[in-house]
Amino acid sequence: MRSDESPAVLLSSVTRNFGPVRAVDRITLTIPRGQTVALLGPNGAGKSTTIGLLLGLLAPDSGRAALFGRDPVQAVRQGLVGAMPQEGGLIGRVTVRELLSFVAGTYPAPLPLDRVLRLAQITQLRDRRVDRLSGGQAQRVRFATAVVGDPDLVVLDEPTAALDVTARREFWDGMRDLAGQGKTILFSTHYLDEADERSDRVIVVGRGRVIADGTSDEIKRVVALTTVSVTVTGETAWLSALPGVRHLDIRGDRAHLRSADPDATVMALAQAGAVRNLEVTPADLEDAFVALTTEDAPIAEETM
Amino acid sequence: MLGYIRFELIRTARDGGYVVFGLIMPVVMYLVFTDLGLAPGDEHDAAIYTMVSMAAYGGLGAAFNNGSGIAEDRAAGWLRRLRLTPLTPAQVIAGKVVTGAVGVVPGIAAVLLTGALVNHVTLTPGRWLAIVVLLWAGTIPFSLLGLGNGYRLTGQSAAMANLMTMLVLSIVGGLWVPVSGFPSWLRALAEWTPSNGYASLSWHVAFGAAPGAREIAMLTVWLVVFGLYAMYGYRRAGRTG
Repeated sequence: MRSDESPAVLLSSVTRNFGPVRAVDRITLTIPRGQTVALLGPNGAGKSTTIGLLLGLLAPDSGRAALFGRDPVQAVRQGLVGAMPQEGGLIGRVTVRELLSFVAGTYPAPLPLDRVLRLAQITQLRDRRVDRLSGGQAQRVRFATAVVGDPDLVVLDEPTAALDVTARREFWDGMRDLAGQGKTILFSTHYLDEADERSDRVIVVGRGRVIADGTSDEIKRVVALTTVSVTVTGETAWLSALPGVRHLDIRGDRAHLRSADPDATVMALAQAGAVRNLEVTPADLEDAFVALTTEDAPIAEETM
Repeated sequence: MLGYIRFELIRTARDGGYVVFGLIMPVVMYLVFTDLGLAPGDEHDAAIYTMVSMAAYGGLGAAFNNGSGIAEDRAAGWLRRLRLTPLTPAQVIAGKVVTGAVGVVPGIAAVLLTGALVNHVTLTPGRWLAIVVLLWAGTIPFSLLGLGNGYRLTGQSAAMANLMTMLVLSIVGGLWVPVSGFPSWLRALAEWTPSNGYASLSWHVAFGAAPGAREIAMLTVWLVVFGLYAMYGYRRAGRTG
């Protein structure tokens, strides 16, 4: 494969242990150029380790990582990569402008500073000292350091983890402009809605493995099951065979049907004359997601 | 890499610890200590002797402060962040070493200028040049010791270790009070310290003698020891991130 056709990110059966803990367990994934990908998983799922491996910060115990068909460290040296680690990376006693100018100067063809300041919405902060910013401001500056070199691949590790709702929205406003420029973007998050709204593709990671990989609609269909509840009497086993139903849970005289297609489930219940005290509850995304990544979820395999 | 050096120099210039220990203290102490008349010889000789002592003290202050900066960088995740820029680790280390080497200049220069302008020290141009070079180059072992501490220890403890080492080496090495005023046992100890060897080179030259072979040999040994220590610290820091 010629290197200019090679994918932006390639991990093949990459494993990494920390002492007795297997943080990343034979992860294989390919990210073509231009895709915006969310790496979704709860804390401790192996997201940061995966990112460390693909950036060349960590060496894999086995398997191989490549960016644009070359060694990750080499790709970073060539200025193809801009990254925002989960923590740290801001240093004291310099202004925002001084910091960004320095980072820009290490890349072969950086973006104009004014444009980066606008992109990250930090134009007003340019002469402020980096060590005197609020959490949200600091995060936007860290984001700016990841993109100022105009890299082809931008990797953001939990970019919004420490931010409140407003700061998160402001952060993503800047990201939208970037995705429009054909960059490959990989970000990790433990917010399902972020993965859903901000990416072309979601890779769900749990306990160091890829659990699911698909478009956000596909992932949502798996992860975000709507609960349809009805009052039932007598035989209930047939309910689990209704269209869309993935889980059946009987509590007293109530049947709780977790459905991937609630419309079809309700229609089928109506045709069977079983609509009694019908209740439809939209998925609690976080709960469903935690369930998916903490149990051996057979439903996940359907998307693999 | 020039960009990195410029960036680090901006940060150094805004560092209070650097300004105090590498610049202000040596100059103020030079002015005070000259008047105390602790140094041997007449007034002019004392002014020369103390000028060299305090320039060396300023060199130590700046060199150790640079090492403390490394620990601060590590704690802030800055070294890790630099690994995600196109800079190579060798460029980062070289940049830090150059920053340290440039950083010791203002303190040394300020003390020497104070000597010439305030205390009316007169030396031949050759001797001025020689002590500038010796005072400057002689900071390298101390920079390495400071970097070793910076790599090996974390934030606050590295800064504290470097400050304590700097003060002990300055005092025991006879930079504050000349070793001629020490009790004999302490004087014997002092003559083995790198700080005493470092200043002795310039003391000799300033008074027209050649740098002693013993001082050169001793400083070379310390250079190797501290260089190994810095490498050990760097490797250890690399393993722990």
